[in-house]
Amino acid sequence: MRALFITWQVIYAVLLRETKTRYGQSQLGYVWALIEPTLWVGTFAGMYWFLGRQGPSGMPMFEFLVSGIVPFALFIESVSRSATAIGANQGLLYYPHVRPLDLVVARVLLEYATKVVVFALLMIAAACLQGTPLRADQPLKVFLGLVLASGLGMGLGLILCGLGLFFSVVERLQSTLLRPLFWLSGLFYSIDELPSAAQKVLLLNPLLHVIEIVRSGWFVTHESRLVTIWYPLLWTTILLFFGLTFERVARRRLHHL
Amino acid sequence: MIQFDQVTKTYPKRNGLNVVLDAVDVTFPSGVGVGILGKNGAGKSTLLRLIAGVEHPDSGRIVREGTVSWPIGFSGGFAGSLTGEENCRFVARIYGADVDEVVGFAMDFAELGEYFEMPVKTYSSGMRARLAFGLSMALDFDAYLVDEVTAVGDSAFKAKCKAAFAQRSGRSSIIIVSHDPGTIRSYCTQCAVLKDGKLVYFDSVDAAEKEYQA
Repeated sequence: MRALFITWQVIYAVLLRETKTRYGQSQLGYVWALIEPTLWVGTFAGMYWFLGRQGPSGMPMFEFLVSGIVPFALFIESVSRSATAIGANQGLLYYPHVRPLDLVVARVLLEYATKVVVFALLMIAAACLQGTPLRADQPLKVFLGLVLASGLGMGLGLILCGLGLFFSVVERLQSTLLRPLFWLSGLFYSIDELPSAAQKVLLLNPLLHVIEIVRSGWFVTHESRLVTIWYPLLWTTILLFFGLTFERVARRRLHHL
Repeated sequence: MIQFDQVTKTYPKRNGLNVVLDAVDVTFPSGVGVGILGKNGAGKSTLLRLIAGVEHPDSGRIVREGTVSWPIGFSGGFAGSLTGEENCRFVARIYGADVDEVVGFAMDFAELGEYFEMPVKTYSSGMRARLAFGLSMALDFDAYLVDEVTAVGDSAFKAKCKAAFAQRSGRSSIIIVSHDPGTIRSYCTQCAVLKDGKLVYFDSVDAAEKEYQA
């Protein structure tokens, strides 16, 4: 019990500190967190408008884009923030209370909380722009989808962090390797509208499931029959298992660097 | 009390292993100032990190009774972009101490003036060390681990550190590593020598110095 309390104390302290070092440096502060996803949504909304496209299965266009882009951004950021969490904060490991994993968990929690706020604000903005009422079908499902997005990201980030200690090339390859996911995760389409050959391949991607879960949680009209919660949950468990194992191995090497 | 039971610690080097501690058995008593003498590269800082628990032995066991500080004197635990005050808040939080009390104490002790509210990256190394000392003195530990106090501050600040430690003696123990017997003599009554992976304990600093110079 006491150990658990200390862990929470440390994570909370690191979280506050991360918030300051990350958003406290510029005049815009926390607004920065909103700018990037807003730009993405804006760009693609412009393209959709230009092409005269609508969101699939009755999903309003803005909300459709937000429901794909924000969970995706949460995943990508969780990967890169976890992969660099230990290296960037190695100095903190001189406090015996602070364990490497605390640094990662604090960053992922901050990322999650930030993206939940961003998601809500962009959805409010979308509702205003569309002139539609703001309502979530099953809010819990939305939160769960976002939890899975950050869990997947944290697991992969930990693995990359461990690999990065042994192979320096990993850090450089990371963004290149993740880039295809931008097109393979259902950001700009819904899995149900695709031919079945494409569905089979794309359903292997756990992030696509996550985004569809967020959408079925948010939209009253949309419910994909093809995705399950179990599949991304299984991936998250496996990635976290290997990630945490790597973290243990990496811990022994940390001080030799 | 801190007890080492057959503790071995090695580092890989270009060819073979660098043995920092070779099956060391030692007991550091409570409430006493203990110095550890060792030449540069003997592994003093590693030993201190092992005692603190930020590094783990290859084999053997380290038993700690009571709370142990982090290795004080070096300033790696500060975030450069945060102010001295914000850094103190952070450390107070991870140790579950009263944040305002710790910040107040550290501010008085470190005497940094308005620098206390400026980013740590603007500090000189002496200022960083003063902040590190003030902060550690603000927290109550059963054992304070100090790395190379010789590098810290001017004579007035040294006197202040000595007074602060003297006030705690009997209650807390102090373990200081240094390559300079003079430094150790001014804080400690007992002393160990770290040499070639062996740690030999002496009841007086004089006896340790004799072995160290040999």
